[in-house]
Amino acid sequence: MPSKTRNPVTARRGVSLNVILTAVVVVVAIAVIGIVLLANRSDNSGAGSNETLRPTGSHTLSQVAGDEVTVVEFLDFQCPACASFYTNITKGLEQDYAGRFTFVPRNFPLQSHPLAVPAARAAEAAGKQGKYAQMYHALYDGYASWALTEDGKSVSDDLPRATTRFEEFATAAGLDLDRFRADVASPEVQAIIDQGVADGTKLGVDSTPTFFINGEKFDPQGSTAGEVDRELRAAIDARLAG
Amino acid sequence: MSRALAWLYTVGGGFGLAAAIALTLEKIAKLGDPTYVPICSLNPVISCGSVMDSAQAGVFGFPNPLIGIAAFAVVVTTGVAGLAGFDPPRWYRIGLAVGTTFGVVFVHWLIASSLYDIHALCPYCLVVWIVMIPLFWYTALDTWPVLAPLRTVHSAVLALWYVVIVILVLIAFWDYWTSLFS
Repeated sequence: MPSKTRNPVTARRGVSLNVILTAVVVVVAIAVIGIVLLANRSDNSGAGSNETLRPTGSHTLSQVAGDEVTVVEFLDFQCPACASFYTNITKGLEQDYAGRFTFVPRNFPLQSHPLAVPAARAAEAAGKQGKYAQMYHALYDGYASWALTEDGKSVSDDLPRATTRFEEFATAAGLDLDRFRADVASPEVQAIIDQGVADGTKLGVDSTPTFFINGEKFDPQGSTAGEVDRELRAAIDARLAG
Repeated sequence: MSRALAWLYTVGGGFGLAAAIALTLEKIAKLGDPTYVPICSLNPVISCGSVMDSAQAGVFGFPNPLIGIAAFAVVVTTGVAGLAGFDPPRWYRIGLAVGTTFGVVFVHWLIASSLYDIHALCPYCLVVWIVMIPLFWYTALDTWPVLAPLRTVHSAVLALWYVVIVILVLIAFWDYWTSLFS
């Protein structure tokens, strides 16, 4: 066998070169990857990306000290899928993980839903009086009563009916109704909604609901609510454990 | 066959065989119960389930790990026989070289699928990726005289190969890795 005569020769001269080259490859790779990861970490903790995902003053439906697990949901109050997610997934999540994760809802009203912006205005106006969570729940719990047509078959465009409902929700939440009406119409509230759309677009959101878990977009594999619920909980559990 | 190569076949083939058996068992469990979540599905990125359910996981019409069970068993057997003193004839070595070449090409196609199409990593598959590269590389060095010059830098080539794969995995799942570190 030629290899048997060749091996000892090459082995004696080759070992050091091979070992040196191997060490160089490994050390350079570890150094480069380590530096890039570290540099990226300092980028991440900076205000830039966090501010896009979760601007100062964003509402929270649940909060944990240190925000170790943060779920950001870009939602449209009139989108049927969002309402279904609320009923089947996020409402339970909010209860089961209350105080263990930070849950930040962001506005991403879609053009195809004529009452999505008015509903978002109602929620943000309630937020001005510290009752965002109450309005958020009222909007989704009472979804069928304002977001859908009377027959429940399609998305409603009946603004007066919806406005009446929003004001009923506001009264039930104990809001100052005059102030609520003024806030609903204010450019300040519209600016918060526009900010949500701008930030969502920047982050690549193109449909609702879209979730980000610790800044990472959550792409569920499952198609049923049960499957997605399991995946979302698994993703949160993994980060709670880590 | 050198003792080092025989050990590589025994240990590398053993890990590959174990991973293929584990994947097959997970596949069977999933067939019996479609809601079964494999033990190795930890999160959306580390997920055997989404890899096993992909079209690429059964590209020849049956689950890929069945190939692994058959082929890695041959590798282990060759390794153990080598340790026992078996010196394979040239045709046998060429057979091994052809087999491991098929394996390494297939594994790289699966790596590309996993990174760019399925967007998930499966831990058992990673074991197969890791063992397949040295099995191919050292068999090729042992079999083809044309590769003789590279014997002097054999492990540097292997290290470089691993580094390239690691970098591709890092880039493909960049958001996931940085979310772990931040």
